[in-house]
Amino acid sequence: MEDSREMSRRSFLAITGWVGFSVASAIALYQSLKFVYPNATYEDPPAFKADAPTTYAVGSTTVLIDKRVVINHDPNGFYAISLICTHLGCTPRYFDDVTSDLVNAGTSISRDPDTGLEATRANPALPGFKCPCHGSRYFRDAINFFGPAPRPMDRVHVEVAPDGKLLIDRSVIVDRAFRLKV
Amino acid sequence: MTVIRAALDEMFAVIGQMVGSVFRHGLPLTDKIAARTALTNFFLHIHPVRVRRSWIRMSYTLCLGGLSFFLFIVLTVTGLFLMFYYVPSTHTAYENMRDLQFVVTFGGVIRNMHRWAAHAMVITVWLHMARVFLTGAYKKPREFNWGVGTLLLLITLLLSFTGYLLPWDQLSIWAVTVGTNMAKYAPIAGPYTRYLLIGGRVVGDNALLRFYVLHVVGLPLAAFLLMVVHFWRVRKDGFSGGL
Repeated sequence: MEDSREMSRRSFLAITGWVGFSVASAIALYQSLKFVYPNATYEDPPAFKADAPTTYAVGSTTVLIDKRVVINHDPNGFYAISLICTHLGCTPRYFDDVTSDLVNAGTSISRDPDTGLEATRANPALPGFKCPCHGSRYFRDAINFFGPAPRPMDRVHVEVAPDGKLLIDRSVIVDRAFRLKV
Repeated sequence: MTVIRAALDEMFAVIGQMVGSVFRHGLPLTDKIAARTALTNFFLHIHPVRVRRSWIRMSYTLCLGGLSFFLFIVLTVTGLFLMFYYVPSTHTAYENMRDLQFVVTFGGVIRNMHRWAAHAMVITVWLHMARVFLTGAYKKPREFNWGVGTLLLLITLLLSFTGYLLPWDQLSIWAVTVGTNMAKYAPIAGPYTRYLLIGGRVVGDNALLRFYVLHVVGLPLAAFLLMVVHFWRVRKDGFSGGL
């Protein structure tokens, strides 16, 4: 009489075989996923140099479209905007007037919490950005006020490089209060 | 002369043997021969040996599944032709597409056949699913084939999406930027999924190559295998009432 607690040779080999097959398959799946997940991408590096700070007049907005970055020079300093729509990643475009059509249509536009600027019937035109994909709109300082964008566009780090030019690092996101004084 | 005649006889015998090996049962003059031919021929065996007249009655939806399959064949053939002129690189893709439109003889015809058949296939596959749903043709014993069908719908949409990037114009690039950013919203796996899909952080060379490979090999192969299962199951489960 065979002990029911004992495993037969056949089922032992079958279980060993299936375990081996499963482990090998799992390793193959892991390898396949790791293989198609690139270690290096050769994309444009996140940090790049713009021109010298004196190139950008106070109050100016400069769009570096190939880098998808905006350099704003305000009286209290420089800051850079990552020109990537926070909705689904398209590139918003700069316009001198992104508000008057909405104001004239009767849409109320919130005041810009940072600058305090407000588009009114008396003074409807404010500069800013419009996204061509789904119509999100931002004030000149990247704060969203219309459309599906859920939050302001990111601000990224700016510093002065040793050679005196502005160095912008798109991989470093900074606080909205960040300003570079030159 | 007898030597030549013997050689000719020998040759005809060999040819006859070869032809006989391909066409084994002669003309299907009786039901019995027709059935035997259908059973032993690879291409014919896909068809049922007997088909009731009511099974192939064309109904008001004009055999939407069959139309989808026909469009898939059109897409495979025209796609193969397009591949002779198209190089999936950001430096060449757009120019290749323009060349196909304006330089290659009948290039515009082939490209537009591919483009319109693709749009049409998305529509016919959707309508096919709607028809199956509305007529209750997904019910027992066809639940499994409904599942296979949903996968085929998914693959059709993925083929449409991957093909959309290949002309490499502004519309393609931003549509895929938007589409893959949607994948990014998924919890935890989202950002990894996007990185894996486009092979980087922005829609560039890697994304174009990945989408091309999926579009011309990966997805059509998966679609083909699932179609084999889908059609076989349709045959085994029977037609629910006309085409």
